[in-house]
Amino acid sequence: MLHWTFKALFARPVYLLASACGVAFALILVIFIEAVFAGESGRIVAYLEQSKADVWVMQRGVSNMHMATSFISDWKVAKIAKVEGVRKATPILYMNASIEIGGRQWFSFVVGMGGGDGRAGPWRVVKGKRQPGRGEVVIPATLARITGLDLGATITLNTKKLKVVGLSEGTFSMANSVTFVHAADLSDIMSAFGMVSYVLVDAEEGVDGRALAARVRDQVASVNAMPLKDFIASDHGLAMQMGVEIINIMSFIGMGLAIVITGFTVYSQTNRRRRELAVAKALGVRNRAVYGSVLLQAVCVVLLGLAIATALALAAAPLIEALVPLVALTIEFEALLKLGALALCIAAVSSLIPARQVLRVDPATAFHS
Amino acid sequence: MTVSTQPIIEATHLTKTFGRGHVAVRAVDDVSFSIAQGELVLIMGPSGSGKTTLLSMLGGLLRPTEGGIAVDGVEITQLDEAGLARLRAHKIGFIFQSFNLLEALSVEDNILFPAHLAPGGRAAGRGRADQLITKLGLDHRRRALPDTLSGGEQQRVAIARALINRPLLILADEPTGNLDSEKGQEVLMILHDIARDEGCSVLIVTHDPRVEDIADRVLWLEDGGLRDRKSDRHDWVRDPVCGMRVDQWTATLFAEHGGRRFAFCSQRCLERFEAAPEPFLDLAAASDAGAAAPET
Repeated sequence: MLHWTFKALFARPVYLLASACGVAFALILVIFIEAVFAGESGRIVAYLEQSKADVWVMQRGVSNMHMATSFISDWKVAKIAKVEGVRKATPILYMNASIEIGGRQWFSFVVGMGGGDGRAGPWRVVKGKRQPGRGEVVIPATLARITGLDLGATITLNTKKLKVVGLSEGTFSMANSVTFVHAADLSDIMSAFGMVSYVLVDAEEGVDGRALAARVRDQVASVNAMPLKDFIASDHGLAMQMGVEIINIMSFIGMGLAIVITGFTVYSQTNRRRRELAVAKALGVRNRAVYGSVLLQAVCVVLLGLAIATALALAAAPLIEALVPLVALTIEFEALLKLGALALCIAAVSSLIPARQVLRVDPATAFHS
Repeated sequence: MTVSTQPIIEATHLTKTFGRGHVAVRAVDDVSFSIAQGELVLIMGPSGSGKTTLLSMLGGLLRPTEGGIAVDGVEITQLDEAGLARLRAHKIGFIFQSFNLLEALSVEDNILFPAHLAPGGRAAGRGRADQLITKLGLDHRRRALPDTLSGGEQQRVAIARALINRPLLILADEPTGNLDSEKGQEVLMILHDIARDEGCSVLIVTHDPRVEDIADRVLWLEDGGLRDRKSDRHDWVRDPVCGMRVDQWTATLFAEHGGRRFAFCSQRCLERFEAAPEPFLDLAAASDAGAAAPET
């Protein structure tokens, strides 16, 4: 049966390829939907990841940066710095803001950095300087490319005009770009005098981040401290939570489409093979073996479709990112594995469509000329 | 030919009714007979007489409304679907009018197809397949796909497939129906040899009068029941294409041309005639003159 199933499947390679491409079309939608959200949620936590701080300290009750507001009195920075195991404590001011660049509003994380050593600033600057001074701003290079701006151009944050002095890489996303300004400018805009938003804590060599975070929470009043890994997970989780319903709906639509396409393919293949199935039954093949043959064909078509979709997605992702800089795509191996498992479910469900047809094939029709 | 008296298949008061109430049709009506081991039996009869329905029931493809069928002593009307499938795979070989080879499989793979349903699987059937391929003259076509074979070759492959699991019984439905006279004769002789050499019972449903020459027994089915065939019911004419004698009484293939009706021995002859009838009209006229007197 296996031999016959595969021979029959590959007997018409063009038909098989067309079927697999139909399935691939549906699956590629699912891959890209997930890739966009993975890319975007990755960009949302990019600043946290690149900060490489061992512990993040924030206002008590706050556990995110994304969509959050945090205020800590600035005198607590010195207190945090004195906690055992802390090598350096770097304060930042932070706000979610809409900035006007090139006549268009862009939602952005705005980081107000001081200190002058560039700590907590952009991690890769492709043009200009890393540390903005008063009245200056470092914006994502992608944003500058999209809006046609360059160094020396002016953008507006609230009502404050800022001069672009640096272009950073890896800081742009559709939902949240990261823009860097001088802490004093942001303090003016936020009217947050004597306040910081977060404190990035670098631990001394060999000090565990989790233990250090616990010590900060114990020794400094009204603050929350989280090791970097937990803070990233919390922000990533929030970002995904915000998009998960959309992902699920879009994935559901994509999978529904895949089921319909695969089901139609298997149904038409079964219909085309109706006479052969009748002959096989007449020769002594049992219903379950015939159904197994149909299921196996569905699995092959879906797996081939998955392979085509994966190959196309991996090949097209860099091209899409280059052509459409707004989109951040991340195709995760885990997502592909999950899709592989879903694809097998698609095959099983779609092979149920012609199941009744298989059972109804009358072996006696083999006698009809 | 060696014919044992032990019945391989025995049908008892077999009846098949399609539909219900006043629209019910008794396609097969109280048919009883048995076939012994190694016997070659022919079932003949006019179109619509229930031959194929009877064959389907004997092969376990259709359940009778009444009556019983015992194959090798096992009452098959009591078997479930799985049991019937097993019976067909192990004890019955089928030969169809339209060959019904699996188009994606080579000659060898088609022959081996039922082998995986038998104990031992394909590996056990390979030696038998080689033997049949050689015996049926298919050595040079072993790797060929069905659509590259002639009608005669396809039917030989179908015969080999039917024999691969050494069945007790071969059921053949119009095995020469799609073959010209020469290939048809060849297939008949193969079936004859199978019954003689393999001790396999062969039941053939056919309109082809040539088969009568090789049959041990002819059963005449008419209106669903077995009847005594009256010799005066022969109505011999000549197939205008191949010149073979055809009994108009049992023939199923006809064509009208120039106000005349022609009977054909096979689908192939009919198709050739329909494609270009003119070349065959002279032969038909000559045959008419030669075959004016009825042959019986």
